[in-house]
Amino acid sequence: MDKLIKRRAAIRNLLIIAGGAMVLPACYRNSGKASIALQNLTISEDEENLLAELTETLIPETTTPGAKSLKLHLFVLKMVDDCYTADNQKLFVEGLKGFNDHFSKQAGTSFADASPEKRQEVLKSIQDIKQKDDPVKKFYDITKSKTIQGYLSSKYVMTNIVKYELVPGRYNGYFPA
Amino acid sequence: MANLTIDSVKERTFDVIVIGSGASGGWAAKEFTEKGLKTLVLERGRPVEHVKDYPTTNMFPYEFEHRNEIPRKEQEENPIVNRCYAYHEDTRHFFVKDAEHPYVQEKPFDWIRGYQVGGKSLLWARQTQRWSDFDFEGPARDEFAVDWPIRYKDIAPWYSYVERFAGISGNKDGLAELPDGEFLPAFPLNAAEDHFKNALKAKFPNRYLISARCAHLSKPNQIHFDQGRVQCQNRVLCQRGCPFGGYFSSNASTLPWAQKTGNLTLRPFSVVHSIIYDEGKGKATGVKVIDTNTKEEIDFFARVVFVNASALNTNLILLNSTSNRFPQGLGNDNGLMGKYVAFHNYSATISAEYNGLLEYKTDGRNPAGGGYIPRFRNVFKQETDFLRGYAAAFSARRAESRNSKGVGEELKNSLVKPELGPWQVGSHMMGETIPKENNYVRLDKSQKDAWGVPLISVKVEYDENDRQIRKDYYEQMREMFEAAGFTNIKTRDTDRNPGLDIHEMGGVRMGHDPKTSLLNGWHQLHACKNVFVTDGACMTSTGTQNPTLTYMAFTARAADYAMNEMKKQNL
Repeated sequence: MDKLIKRRAAIRNLLIIAGGAMVLPACYRNSGKASIALQNLTISEDEENLLAELTETLIPETTTPGAKSLKLHLFVLKMVDDCYTADNQKLFVEGLKGFNDHFSKQAGTSFADASPEKRQEVLKSIQDIKQKDDPVKKFYDITKSKTIQGYLSSKYVMTNIVKYELVPGRYNGYFPA
Repeated sequence: MANLTIDSVKERTFDVIVIGSGASGGWAAKEFTEKGLKTLVLERGRPVEHVKDYPTTNMFPYEFEHRNEIPRKEQEENPIVNRCYAYHEDTRHFFVKDAEHPYVQEKPFDWIRGYQVGGKSLLWARQTQRWSDFDFEGPARDEFAVDWPIRYKDIAPWYSYVERFAGISGNKDGLAELPDGEFLPAFPLNAAEDHFKNALKAKFPNRYLISARCAHLSKPNQIHFDQGRVQCQNRVLCQRGCPFGGYFSSNASTLPWAQKTGNLTLRPFSVVHSIIYDEGKGKATGVKVIDTNTKEEIDFFARVVFVNASALNTNLILLNSTSNRFPQGLGNDNGLMGKYVAFHNYSATISAEYNGLLEYKTDGRNPAGGGYIPRFRNVFKQETDFLRGYAAAFSARRAESRNSKGVGEELKNSLVKPELGPWQVGSHMMGETIPKENNYVRLDKSQKDAWGVPLISVKVEYDENDRQIRKDYYEQMREMFEAAGFTNIKTRDTDRNPGLDIHEMGGVRMGHDPKTSLLNGWHQLHACKNVFVTDGACMTSTGTQNPTLTYMAFTARAADYAMNEMKKQNL
């Protein structure tokens, strides 16, 4: 029994996303599929890697962990897969597939080859797209908002930066602002 | 969990049977077992043991797979419960899923249920206000329902009795329309809430903002420690179940107390089919149960039956308890059972901003939720075109906003440096609805549930009075907000179905006259005196107060009466 519990704990630790959510892995990484089991989205390994790069561009590693090491791209996939409507899932996947093309047209180089400055510049131009159902815009918006949510609610941030108190034990309605 | 293998009538016989283990059923269990009566508590759902069965209670936000969001598929499969404010990833195990327990909606009605030991007492919002004589005398004065057979003086000592044990926080506010209780210290208002309170005091006679009264142990007494409960830790994660016993639930308080006496038999997985009526004896003799695991039908026997199944299920059980003597349901000689169902109307909200007192913010969390505005319309006299009125919740907080426009390090840095915005203030209406004959529940003639019990059919709607109340709430609150210097005032009609306020009441109402009511002033069925109803089904009118405290006081009072009557051999 003890062994079983330890093994479970080990698996659990391996699968932790952003220090929290647990997801099941797809069986074989060399299948070219996403590294986590998805019910609704079909995402290739390359697309997952692109997503990881995109989230890392949004929240890069500095003196503190960035999106990739917190696995925020997996959090984005998990949330879109489980919590979004079929319409938005479709736009998300379409936008992910069209992202590189859109990026190359704007930047003259692929996302992977672009400098961090160039990446940021193009991402900001995507933010400014007015057309709401533009797939690239929708994909970007969803990715950004879930990356932010995943970051702020990650174990790292919640224990080291913006600390979450499970047991405050107090209430002060006149606390100095 | 004794008595899962029962093979003789003797072993199935108790002094009292209590149907339901929620807030009122738990009180019946406590009262009877404490006085030495062998008590069987029937619960249709699964066991939930205090602390042990609160699986999410100590989880951090990042430990929830979807950060507390319910996945889309599950939302779509459960549209009714999904609309409940408290239904999230951390609490979903305490809510009934739509498809598992169907009912018929003749009109849209969101019926929110918790089928487990402790019932909805695990999930309630814990607001606890007494009624006053303005509420008990209201129907007689306004003629919107039958006269209550009791008055405030009848129930006041029982309010005190349950308040002392449950632990209620509040201030002695000295208001005739909202009597003071036996309070633990109140959770104080914050700076902006106090500002609103003072603005009302200066400009609106008979309108008050008080600290919300709530069932939390702000400063426990010995009686609370004796229950194994300790001080509320301001987690405000109450609906997961509280490991501190910081708020009142059956699971943390009354049921373990009853268990300690040795007189309690708690039987989960027991759907009540009906109450057994013996024509020869002219009284109820027991309860017919379907075991949800085995589908086995089992009869239990007792001298007295307390029906605390929650308002609509109590109606269902009584309507399904037919006999030659009571072909329309137990005690239903006048055919009124299931009618005059009423509810609370929380369909209106108002919000605004306040740019004063920016030198303050709040720290920690307030389990009381903020302030409470007692009903101020038609209290001392009828002064509007509509009947009755509304209470209101009011709270304020400093919102933090994060600049998320940037990309890269700029974004990363701005996310963890939130900016403190102005005070956000908000209120929601808690309106009284008028019990009407055409708001009813009844048994569906053709459909049965998985245990062979007819489905309940609900027809409950808002009416013109409700719309007028809402309009008045918007007008009056706007005026009060403006007087307090609030800006950017926005009203919102939440456009919700009746029922979502989780305060459905009536159907087995109390009254003096067996021709116009089902229960007497002691909660006994007029026509079957050893059956008592002390949950929301007994309500003659609804008041604006949150109802649970009143059910608990009713139950303790009725249990005391029943024990005395049993002693006198009257039951």
